[in-house]
Amino acid sequence: MSMTQNRTLGYITANYITRENSVLTANRPLASVPFMGRYRLIDFPLSNMMNAGIKTVGLVMPGNCRSIMDHVGSGKDWLLDRKKGGLFLVPGNAYGTSKRGMRFLLRDIIANKELFKRSDKPYVVMMGSSIVFNLDLHQIVDAHETSGAGITMVYVKAVRHQDDASSLVIGDRGRVTQVRPGCDYGDNKFMDCFIIDRKLLLDIIEDYATADYLDIFEAIAGDFARIDVCSYEFKGLVVGIHGEETYYERSMQLIDPSIYEQLFNPDRPIITKAHDAPPAKYFAGSRATNSLISTGCEIKGTVRGSILSRGVIVESGAQVVNSILMQSCVIKSGARVENAILDKNNVVPANTELRGTPEHTLVLGKAPLNAE
Amino acid sequence: MGKKECIAMLLAGGQGSRLGALTSKIAKPAVSFGGKFRIIDFALSNCTNSGIDTVGVLTQYRPYLLHSYIGSGEAWDLDARDGGVSILPPYATQEGGAWYAGTADAITQNLEYIKMYDPEYVLILSGDHLYRMDYRKMLASHIQHKADLTVSVMPVPWEEASRFGILTADDDGRIQRFDEKPEKPESNLASMGIYIFSTKVLVDALEADAVDQRSSHDFGKDIIPKLLSEGYGLYTYEFHGFWKDVGTIASFHETSMDLLGPNPEFDLYDKSFPILSNITTRPPHYIGPDAVIDDALVSNGCKVYGTVRHSIVSTDAVVGERAVVEDSVLLPGAQVKAGAHVRRAILGENAVVEEGVKLGSVDTTKDTAVVGNDVVIGKGE
Repeated sequence: MSMTQNRTLGYITANYITRENSVLTANRPLASVPFMGRYRLIDFPLSNMMNAGIKTVGLVMPGNCRSIMDHVGSGKDWLLDRKKGGLFLVPGNAYGTSKRGMRFLLRDIIANKELFKRSDKPYVVMMGSSIVFNLDLHQIVDAHETSGAGITMVYVKAVRHQDDASSLVIGDRGRVTQVRPGCDYGDNKFMDCFIIDRKLLLDIIEDYATADYLDIFEAIAGDFARIDVCSYEFKGLVVGIHGEETYYERSMQLIDPSIYEQLFNPDRPIITKAHDAPPAKYFAGSRATNSLISTGCEIKGTVRGSILSRGVIVESGAQVVNSILMQSCVIKSGARVENAILDKNNVVPANTELRGTPEHTLVLGKAPLNAE
Repeated sequence: MGKKECIAMLLAGGQGSRLGALTSKIAKPAVSFGGKFRIIDFALSNCTNSGIDTVGVLTQYRPYLLHSYIGSGEAWDLDARDGGVSILPPYATQEGGAWYAGTADAITQNLEYIKMYDPEYVLILSGDHLYRMDYRKMLASHIQHKADLTVSVMPVPWEEASRFGILTADDDGRIQRFDEKPEKPESNLASMGIYIFSTKVLVDALEADAVDQRSSHDFGKDIIPKLLSEGYGLYTYEFHGFWKDVGTIASFHETSMDLLGPNPEFDLYDKSFPILSNITTRPPHYIGPDAVIDDALVSNGCKVYGTVRHSIVSTDAVVGERAVVEDSVLLPGAQVKAGAHVRRAILGENAVVEEGVKLGSVDTTKDTAVVGNDVVIGKGE
């Protein structure tokens, strides 16, 4: 078994924004958007690193960092409360890069060069936090080591068009010749995940300092051959969250064990902040089908094709259909919610209706506590 | 070490042999309960919720799961620098070592631990009872009475009183009599096995008991009657609320069923006094397109395709298509395969009921069916 933990330092960027205006990201970075009931997007890069035994991680913070600080804490849930190494919450540009599909602002890397200078690891793995997957980083570090490349970029064959992503042009021997903004069906979609030799990274920090306003891959675009940028194809499930539309659509597709179990592989668990909620409670007369339900929910009414986060209450006679309800929402008796995303703490009054359409999801922002 | 006002000693070494197959490989306090908890969570959460930050957990029988589950105590906020959880299995000295011979002996063998913290009071608890209690109220009562020992009691139905240790107290709560399982009870106040001792009284009583050849070294049988006969100030603290000893299969099943229904007496959802547990992160549970769930608790990681009525489905358990689960408890990882019927049964952790098997009966005059941890029930078994 390879020892990634002795070879690799982690770096996660949580400070870029979606270009789209959404109430879901009005007061939180994309990285801490709730996902799949009990998780937040940042859980995935942190867990992928944890499962590879990585013990030192720099997490680049956004301007509106409250929710992410609250969620990540000391990093103990991901075994990052270490005496040696551990979690470093490091500053970054408040909004990351302004370009679509770009996640690794060189200025942030330069600002945090101490993290890379102090390390004795040969490699750095860098990840964004809006593309969700569960992969074995050991294998990728092994492939990187074997190839002798300076950088190995991880990609997946794209199954849809996406502006807010980038794609790799790959030439001989899997070498990347170009990183292009945007991504179409069949392209090599960059998963915002790559391995770089630490010494090479330190050289880039010195050599490209004047281009610090660029994404690292823009800055080095002319030097791919010299640096030797290799690619690695990931064949598992990849879920990119690029705005409300992809968030809703991809979440709905995940209501299927044969799909979501590709993310929640017990051998490489996805860990989130521990909470102590009791099991979900179904009352006599409740009717729940084809849904994902979290702990602490109380179901008296009907739930179909939906994802419910922790502590959601669906009163009797209420109906929740094809919707995503975040933590502590209450659907009062006789109310109906359909094709909607309700952020935390929303209370839907009795006998009222909140309805989007399959084409236009209705999205309600986070409600203040005790909205009743 | 800083001096503590009160520390807790949690007796968790019992085998729980009356839980049969459920405790064949693990200690009773480690048995799963309520969908995502283990029995010891209730006592540890009571300690945390009562502001007690030093807890010695006395273990003996099959301790591995219990030890790894308790870990650093972090899950209950008991990973303190000065105090926290300490696991206290039997140990050896120059004079040799011995198993814990009884509840009192277990504490006697760990008097050094108590002396290390030099507390004013010692709270003695069982790791196998289900209840919510703020021990601060009991301690306040102990201090107010200037008691040597306070015993927590609760009224039980008169017809059941002969199953318990029964205490008779005067109007001020001072204990006059103690009868272990009396045929003709004088009172219906039953001991809950929760004691607060003033430390010096405890130390003296245990040191005397240790050299008493006739003693069975048990709090109920030996220590309390002796202190009573010697005229010490023993008081009751009356508790009103849900308290259950889930020591038998029947009581385990019945107490589990008590968690169901619209207004259960024991409310797992009370956020002011949360029950904390050390759990692994699993995704939300999935409810299939044809599932029917009626009056049930379902935990994370489960998949339910069939019908679940009046049952508890613990973490990662699976109910297959067309399967029916009624009046039952599926412990973590248990699987009921397609078309199988499980009625009035307890399936142990990772137990499997194969396709089409019919297990258990709704007939309440029959014993609850039990499948041990990791046991597979196929057709014809």
